[in-house]
Formats: sequence, C-alpha cells, structure tokens
Amino acid sequence: MIRRLIAGGVIALALAPPALACNAHPSQAQLEGEVMCPVCGTTLDQSDSPAAQQIKRAIHRRIQAGESDCRIKDALVANYGSSILAAPRRSGFGLLAWWVPLGGIVVAALAVGLAAWRWSRRREPEPAASDPSLNGRGALDPAIERRLDEELARYDG
Amino acid sequence: MTRRLWLGAEVAAVALVLALLALLVWRVVTDSNPSVAQSLNTGKHPTAPVFDLKRLSGDGRVDLASLRGRTPIVLDFWASWCVPCIQESKRLEAAMRTYAGRITFLGVDTKDYGPDARRWQHKHGITYPSVHDGDGKVLSRWGGLPIPRIFFVDRKGKVVGQLVVEEDLPRYLRQIAQS
Repeated sequence: MIRRLIAGGVIALALAPPALACNAHPSQAQLEGEVMCPVCGTTLDQSDSPAAQQIKRAIHRRIQAGESDCRIKDALVANYGSSILAAPRRSGFGLLAWWVPLGGIVVAALAVGLAAWRWSRRREPEPAASDPSLNGRGALDPAIERRLDEELARYDG
Repeated sequence: MTRRLWLGAEVAAVALVLALLALLVWRVVTDSNPSVAQSLNTGKHPTAPVFDLKRLSGDGRVDLASLRGRTPIVLDFWASWCVPCIQESKRLEAAMRTYAGRITFLGVDTKDYGPDARRWQHKHGITYPSVHDGDGKVLSRWGGLPIPRIFFVDRKGKVVGQLVVEEDLPRYLRQIAQS
C-alpha cells in the first residue's frame, strides 16, 4: 500500500511541470474564469459590474499585446493582490495550498491503516475448536468421570 | 519505544487542533473590530487608522502616520469605475483650492486598475495626490464598499465624520480647518 502511495506521488510530481507551464496564447474566456471581480466575490465571467468590466478590458488589451497568461496574472496580482486570482498559484507559497490537503489525506490514510493493523494484531486469539459433545461446557474432572463410569457400569450390570 | 512514538503523535495531533482553534479565535476577534464608519455611526470619533501605501502616480509612498496629528486631513476613497466618485472628487478638488495650506487632501484609489485610475485623474482634472489600495484592505478598515467614502480627520488625528449629505462637506471642512 505504501509503495502504491509513493508511486502515486511520484507520478503526480512528474505530471506537475506541464501544469506549471504558462499558456502563451490565453483566451479571454479562460482568464475571465480564473480571475476574480474585486467587488463582487465572483469570477469575472459571472459579473458585469463596472469593476469587472474594467479588468476584462485590461485583460483584452494584454492578450492583444501577446502576453502569456502568467504575465497577465502577474500584472493583476501586482495591482490587486493575490486575492484577485480565483485559485492559488501553482508555484512558490501558493503550491502549499495544493499539496497540503493532499498530504493531509495521505497522512490520515496512513494513520488509519496503521491503527487498523495494530488493532487487528492485538485482538485475542480465537478459542480452540471444542468437542461438540461438550455442548459448550468444559471437560469433566477425571475423578468425576471415573465415578460416573463406575455408576453406569453398576446399573448396566 | 512504539508506545512513546504513539503518545508523541497524539500530543502533536492535539497541539495541531489547538493551534487551528487559536487561529480561528484570532481571526474572529480581529475581524470583529469595528470599522471607522461603524464607530462614527455609533457616535464615536476614533483615531484615524494609519496606512502606508504606494503613491498612485510617481514613486514613493504615503504614510498616514506621518500626517496624522500634524494637519487636518480629508480622505477620499475612490475608483475609476465608480461613477458617483467623479462628482465628489471634483467637489474636493474645488475645496482644496479654498483650503490650500490648511487642510491636506488625500485620495485612496481602491480596488482599481492603476493605469485606468491615472487616466481618470487626468481626464477629470483631479490634482490632489492619491495612494493605491489595490486589494482594498485599507478601505475595509475604514468602512468598505460602497464608494465614494470621504472622511474628515482633525489636527489631533481624530475622525470627526464622513460625508453623507452634500451639506456635510462645507461643515466638516470648517470644523477640521479650525481644529
């Protein structure tokens, strides 16, 4: 199980660089879905407020100027602060927001698995299979058994 | 050894939960501080909260702490996307000429795109200096949206009021000029 988790982590890290790459030709719709309106609490594509329209125009001008999505977002963050982005950046400190929850889930799964394994090892061993003729009771004392045999032999005789 | 490790993990988990709880309490207490506008609405005159922001035009910063207590201040929260801000800023521009040298006029361009804001000032002939509050944190401490919000700070650094109706402007200007 641990090997599978480690393998999963390695694959995720291997796939991370493509996700970090900048899009040299971003679309207006893509950026409007990734940038917040500073006065409405929604992304730009869900707002027609004057403040949202202002940012849409700024994005449009920058796309026309051939800027990448990273560069446009950098400019917006420099102007409005990091809260202008709908999701944390996948680099630097923002990377923590992506990896900490995942790490927490992995650690929690490991803890639960370890606890379950320890609990299963601590359980009492199953009692040995008993003689069905005893009907759940313990074996008779040998002295009583011998006396019982003698009494039965006397009746039989 | 394993038992000690297990105990250490339990202590760490409890400590983490307590730390998160403390963070939550801290956020609730911090957020519950009333804004300047809320204090004014309850009849209080709070000391103007300081800020240190970059100038909208040119280099350098403006630290309100360096002005507070030295000169009366009119603080104008505006943005280029705010239509009513045009009229209010023009009125302040006219008042600035009347009270030149006696009152400091300072704009706070908030939640606004800097290049558009500079164009807006030029277009409407607004010459008093402004600082840039891009993320709106300073605006939040003073009262938040909607804007325009215009506050009057006396020479001692107390906020005496904010502009609500048209008549407030000459009244508060006289009051802080005489403070």
